[in-house]
Amino acid sequence: MADHNDPNAVNSIFSDIDVSAADLYDLFGFPSDDPAGGEKVVIALTFASVPAAGVFDTDMLYRIQISAEPRVARPAKDDHSLKALLRYFETLKDKYLGPLQASEIRVTVDQSNRATVKFINFPGGSFSTVVETNRVLTIDSPDGQAIKAFIGGRDDAFFNDLTGFFRSINYAPQFYHVPHTMAGARELPIPKTLLELEGNDLFNFDPNDPEWGYHGVKRALPPGPLAWNGDKFRKDAQGNFRFVYDGRDCQAGKNVNAIILEIPLAFITRSPEQDRVVNTWGESWVLKAANKVETIPDHPFWLEHPLVLLDAFTLDAELKRYKLVDTDGQPFADAALSEREDNRQLGANNFWLAPHFIKRLAHLGWGFGPSISALGLATSFDHDDSPVSVHKTYSLVTEAFPRVRKTLFQELNMPDDSWNKKGLQIPLRRPVEIFIPNVCAIDLDTTGTWPFGRRLEDQVATRFLSMFLDMEAEFNGRKYHIELLNDQSLWDQAPIEPKTPPNPLKNDKEFLAHFPYLADPW
Amino acid sequence: MGSPMRSKMNNPTDFEIELERIDQDLAELKGRALTIPTDGETATRFVYRLYQRASLTGDFAELAVVETAINSAIRQTGHAADLYFLKAHLDFKFHRLARVRHDLEMGPGLRDSFQGRALAADLDFQEGRYEEARKGYEGVIRDDPTWDDLARLAYLKAKMGDEAGAEQLYLEAEDELTAKQMRHYAWVELQRGVLDLTHGRYEDAWAHYQQADRAYSGYWLVAEHKAELLGAQGKFDEAAALYQQVMARVPRPEFQQALGELYGLMGERERAEPWHEQALAAYLESAGRGEVHYYHHLADFYSDVREDGREAVKWARKDLELRKNFSTQAALAWALYRDGQFAAARDAMNQALSSGVRDAHLFYQAALIHQSVGEADESRQYLQIAAEINPRYQNFHVHR
Repeated sequence: MADHNDPNAVNSIFSDIDVSAADLYDLFGFPSDDPAGGEKVVIALTFASVPAAGVFDTDMLYRIQISAEPRVARPAKDDHSLKALLRYFETLKDKYLGPLQASEIRVTVDQSNRATVKFINFPGGSFSTVVETNRVLTIDSPDGQAIKAFIGGRDDAFFNDLTGFFRSINYAPQFYHVPHTMAGARELPIPKTLLELEGNDLFNFDPNDPEWGYHGVKRALPPGPLAWNGDKFRKDAQGNFRFVYDGRDCQAGKNVNAIILEIPLAFITRSPEQDRVVNTWGESWVLKAANKVETIPDHPFWLEHPLVLLDAFTLDAELKRYKLVDTDGQPFADAALSEREDNRQLGANNFWLAPHFIKRLAHLGWGFGPSISALGLATSFDHDDSPVSVHKTYSLVTEAFPRVRKTLFQELNMPDDSWNKKGLQIPLRRPVEIFIPNVCAIDLDTTGTWPFGRRLEDQVATRFLSMFLDMEAEFNGRKYHIELLNDQSLWDQAPIEPKTPPNPLKNDKEFLAHFPYLADPW
Repeated sequence: MGSPMRSKMNNPTDFEIELERIDQDLAELKGRALTIPTDGETATRFVYRLYQRASLTGDFAELAVVETAINSAIRQTGHAADLYFLKAHLDFKFHRLARVRHDLEMGPGLRDSFQGRALAADLDFQEGRYEEARKGYEGVIRDDPTWDDLARLAYLKAKMGDEAGAEQLYLEAEDELTAKQMRHYAWVELQRGVLDLTHGRYEDAWAHYQQADRAYSGYWLVAEHKAELLGAQGKFDEAAALYQQVMARVPRPEFQQALGELYGLMGERERAEPWHEQALAAYLESAGRGEVHYYHHLADFYSDVREDGREAVKWARKDLELRKNFSTQAALAWALYRDGQFAAARDAMNQALSSGVRDAHLFYQAALIHQSVGEADESRQYLQIAAEINPRYQNFHVHR
């Protein structure tokens, strides 16, 4: 009995998959600036360049879902109660599980690195085509729409101090070799913070080892205790706090694989005049083992008839052969806001975890709120004037909600009016709407800068932090806004070192002025 | 019949490709893995790759080398949980169950980790605490439903007669597996094949073994399962040829014994005997080195090949001291029967069957034992159960 018969005796104990092509990085979406051919929307899904930039994993299926809808006007008198919030989630549930049927684009790549692209459930119908990778192409739909496409390797368009972010949440795997068997030793139970904590030697910057936490430089996990017992922020001899960020670009010089599309709005919706918001989100799926055995090369039919109409029944059967691995809609929706850090499959349907979202936001608020206050800035989070960040978790959403009410419901001010390119009555967006559902909601009447979409040049990591600022407060005579933490003059005045915005202000490579917009790979 | 362990067109098999990849990793890691100052992650990766290689090749001598490497890594890097987890697996593989428990306690947080809980449930199963094992598996599946834990629970259910439950769990395990885990998928297919084989559904079993072969080509474990099935089907020549091929890659004594038994069934005692001699010598050498993982095979060998009850009882008792479960209890019962201690054999077999195990071969042995003490009704009843479980229970089979 089980003498030599346990599963792990002949198989892997630890995961063999270090880097996976299923790892989605970012979803960008914005209205095209190119007026030729009518209104168009640009959508770019980026993911790990495995096996190599420009070479695709043939076991993967990537899916971009798209749903257009009218912009909803917000009632003049808004209800900011928990009850109203839960009602909002219920509405979303009905919408995303009910009659809404998103259109979608599926991409698979074969052994010869040719991509099969399927356009499914669009107003003009469904069709499929096989295209070359790593080339800018135009795909003509059966109803005569021209869709630009690029499926291939590019420079990673994300630019941020990822190590700084991980330092802020005390994420051990960025700094330590955390054993596979110590799944609990990832986000350590230390207050999340923007300012280093006095005595937090597990994560504080070490001047003798300045590259620690960067480029894979890690240490052995100490035996413990993996905690912090201090009661104040760290200050240097000059009385300056130490920033957990140093503003460097951890993604510099890195490549991604990408699916980039420029799609006419008239292809996405029959009512482009009314449907001014295009919601989109991406998914990665990996072929199930059982189906790998049965896989045969792409049927010659596809190759001989590159533009074919699809049968919905066949398509559902196709998806059943794959397993959902990752989703991407909003930046930081999983890394920062998902209470279940292991669950990365929360797409547009993340409303079912809405209570966790509120509790997680409160948990983050107890970390970031006091940090913001210590810098002399106003925060949207109610932390009872705590002088230092606090590690606090919630089991009840009713306890967490009052703390985050303002953070959830405040409008995120924009730095100027350039985002509203037509000067329309477009309400500013609020975190509750931005993150639930987890989609990139591109407003066609704006530039598509975050949170009205996401443009390549947006510093979203820093804008994400801005939701913990009190948007009713003022700095230098102006209301706080989502770019405030990118303002060098703020840091020049702040009692902090280094005096830098948390994340780099621009990408390491210039973006292109034309499709496919993301820079060439390194 | 072509060799299932070689690909057509002489392309490398999946097994060969994986082995080469592991060897490349090992070559890259070897120089720095255990040099001082030791980097814990590199050392862990190195010994893990060694462990993977030994598991993949099925070579117990390699596993012994892995053990030395693990101990060395633990000494140099401190009490790393992953290393103790590897050590626990190694000890489990060698049936050193007391050490497994110790290993689980040594790694910080290991006992309460998902992996540690699954291994603790394995221990419960091996030590005859079936209900605790079931609860352990169900608990870890509830918290972290992975393919291997689903397969663990499936195996328990299969042994306890819940065939439908086992099949369902194996299916769920397969559904968790992706194209990046084809060897794991092949392994689960083998288990589904064994489930069919032990119920006499040879064609279904063959289909699963073929599927395993397609999923992960060139794997000796698949070939070995196929060889057993061919033997059960009475295709002795094909089975023997396949066993020879398996042994060319993995010269393990249990396969030598199986081939000897096949030749015995074919009436070729002269061809059988050298294989039996080799198998016995290897078993005894292993035991002579202080290893315990072949005790069960020794009991089985002396009972069924040599029909030497006294020796069989000796090894069966040694095994029972280590692991009190239906398998070791039944082995002792059968050894006692061979030794003419029929009443004691009946008591031991009753103890084994009281576990709830549903195994046609055990019921067949129970029938013979009860017959030997004059309990004809029970004997008839057990024969009937054996036939209900597997109408072909008397055909060739190997001890797993």
